[in-house]
Amino acid sequence: MIEPAWAATAPALVVAVTALVLFLVDSIDPESNRPALLSGVALVGSLAAMGVALVYLLTGVGESPVSLYGGQLVVDQMTLFFHVIFTSVTTVVVLGSHDYLDSHPYQAEYYILMLLAVTGMAMMAASGSLAVAFVALELASLPSYALVAFMKQNRGSVEAGLKYFLIGALSSAVFVFGISLVYAATGTLLLDGIADQLVEGTALPGVLGVGMLMLIGGFAYKTASAPFHFWAPEAYEGAPAPVSAFISSASKAAGFALAFRVLITAFPVASAGVQNALDWTVVAAVLAVVTMTLGNFAAATQENVKRMLAYSSIGHAGYVLIALASLTGTGDQSLVLGAGMIHLLVYGFMNTGAFLFVALAEYWDVGRTFEEYSGLGTQAPFVSVAMTVFMFSLAGLPIGAGFLSKYYLFAGAVNGGLWWLALVGAVNSALSLFYYSRVVKALWIDEPDEPHTIESYPAALYGAIVVAAVVTVGLLPGLFLFDGVAFDAAAVLFS
Amino acid sequence: MAVPVQYYLVFSTLVFCIGLFGVLTRRNALFFLMSVELMLNAANINLVAFSFYHGNLTGQVFSLFTMALAAAEVAIGIGIILVLYRNFADVDVTSATTLRW
Repeated sequence: MIEPAWAATAPALVVAVTALVLFLVDSIDPESNRPALLSGVALVGSLAAMGVALVYLLTGVGESPVSLYGGQLVVDQMTLFFHVIFTSVTTVVVLGSHDYLDSHPYQAEYYILMLLAVTGMAMMAASGSLAVAFVALELASLPSYALVAFMKQNRGSVEAGLKYFLIGALSSAVFVFGISLVYAATGTLLLDGIADQLVEGTALPGVLGVGMLMLIGGFAYKTASAPFHFWAPEAYEGAPAPVSAFISSASKAAGFALAFRVLITAFPVASAGVQNALDWTVVAAVLAVVTMTLGNFAAATQENVKRMLAYSSIGHAGYVLIALASLTGTGDQSLVLGAGMIHLLVYGFMNTGAFLFVALAEYWDVGRTFEEYSGLGTQAPFVSVAMTVFMFSLAGLPIGAGFLSKYYLFAGAVNGGLWWLALVGAVNSALSLFYYSRVVKALWIDEPDEPHTIESYPAALYGAIVVAAVVTVGLLPGLFLFDGVAFDAAAVLFS
Repeated sequence: MAVPVQYYLVFSTLVFCIGLFGVLTRRNALFFLMSVELMLNAANINLVAFSFYHGNLTGQVFSLFTMALAAAEVAIGIGIILVLYRNFADVDVTSATTLRW
């Protein structure tokens, strides 16, 4: 426990206050561009938030869930675990953005939007009612639309922003209509209250079922899973690469944080109301198969590295959906949910690192396709080693922690009786090795048509990539020591 | 309640479907925004009607939040449509095709 109780939301508060400080700094002298000052403030803020979240998580502040404002906000170990994911991704992305933005105007707005989006994500992970969930989802989404369209002279960026916005607006309308249907069936928006109502069943099982399906649609959009994944390749390819890193790692984790909490807390599979309306584990299983197969097959056909990473991001959403599908009530629930959370943590680092490598390539103007990446291994061996680590870790080879988190996920699925789902995941994982290793082959083996001319080695972007690589590798032994934190955090949700 | 609550459910579903139809068929980005507004307001109808039906204020209060967020979403949307117009000299959502669908 922590006194006063609102201090439990400190990670979100620190991020929000940092955004306001940036507003202040920018309003004092809006004309001058001070990249170092702005990114410095943003970096300090996100580092501080990460520190607070880590300390809270490791000291067990959320072991008995802190309930705020009549249950509207809930801070438990799972919330704090996700806060660590969001803030660490933000820290790495902010560090990488410093060089990427270079002398671009409106840098203060960039960091403000990013920090406000993180605030929304932190609220999503802490939402105790569907009302907070929707407001937080919008707070996370609206700045993201603007961030994707940030390069407003760049047609690709604008187009990506438009498509992201169109599908985002559509799916948030679907999401809020789903909320209204759940409210119609149960008469409350509090997650605990909904679960209490459903113990006895509901008079409107059909309405509840459609409402739940629409809520899942909202989660699918935020996590870039089928059937609302169309925006992802466009948005990730067109957006500035650090923003792609941010959205594909942090935003996806936020969507899953919300999905885990809402589905597990409000719609326990065992209760009569859910049994009559919709068994969401079946929906999750179908979506998992479709999402990972579609993501991996589409990724295998890409020529553009950024677009390949976008489809691989869809594939990874499919892997995490395995965790949701396996919550059938048999086997160790907290094991498989904890596996999903660990995968999101590891994915946060390896995927952010991979997108930041793309950012570095854009910074150097080497182009976007696999062929254009050839020969970078001899020119920039240091980051190329890092990129190799990210690729093999994403594929699930035991060079980074991606191996371990996937292993936990598949083991959890088998444990929950869904061995066929684990098999589909393993086959997909094997397929993914093909397109990930294409990047590695291009970097180290292929001869470039004409050698790249690399003039400068941006220190901050290098630093961000190295941090991501070190954490990706370090988590491999690290997870043996700390995986208990995730499993305990997941267990709090079922108690 | 003078009007049975099922009627509100049918009405809101109709409004939602009209909005969805508009989203799927309209090519003009501004019509798209209006259609999304219809879908959001369909949810508001449900929230207010069932707030009365269940006898608590949760739904009514939440519908206020929904309206505020709809306004915020339109503000961002108009901004993006503006830069779309500046770059492509059109507000047709299908004209922006530099990236492959």
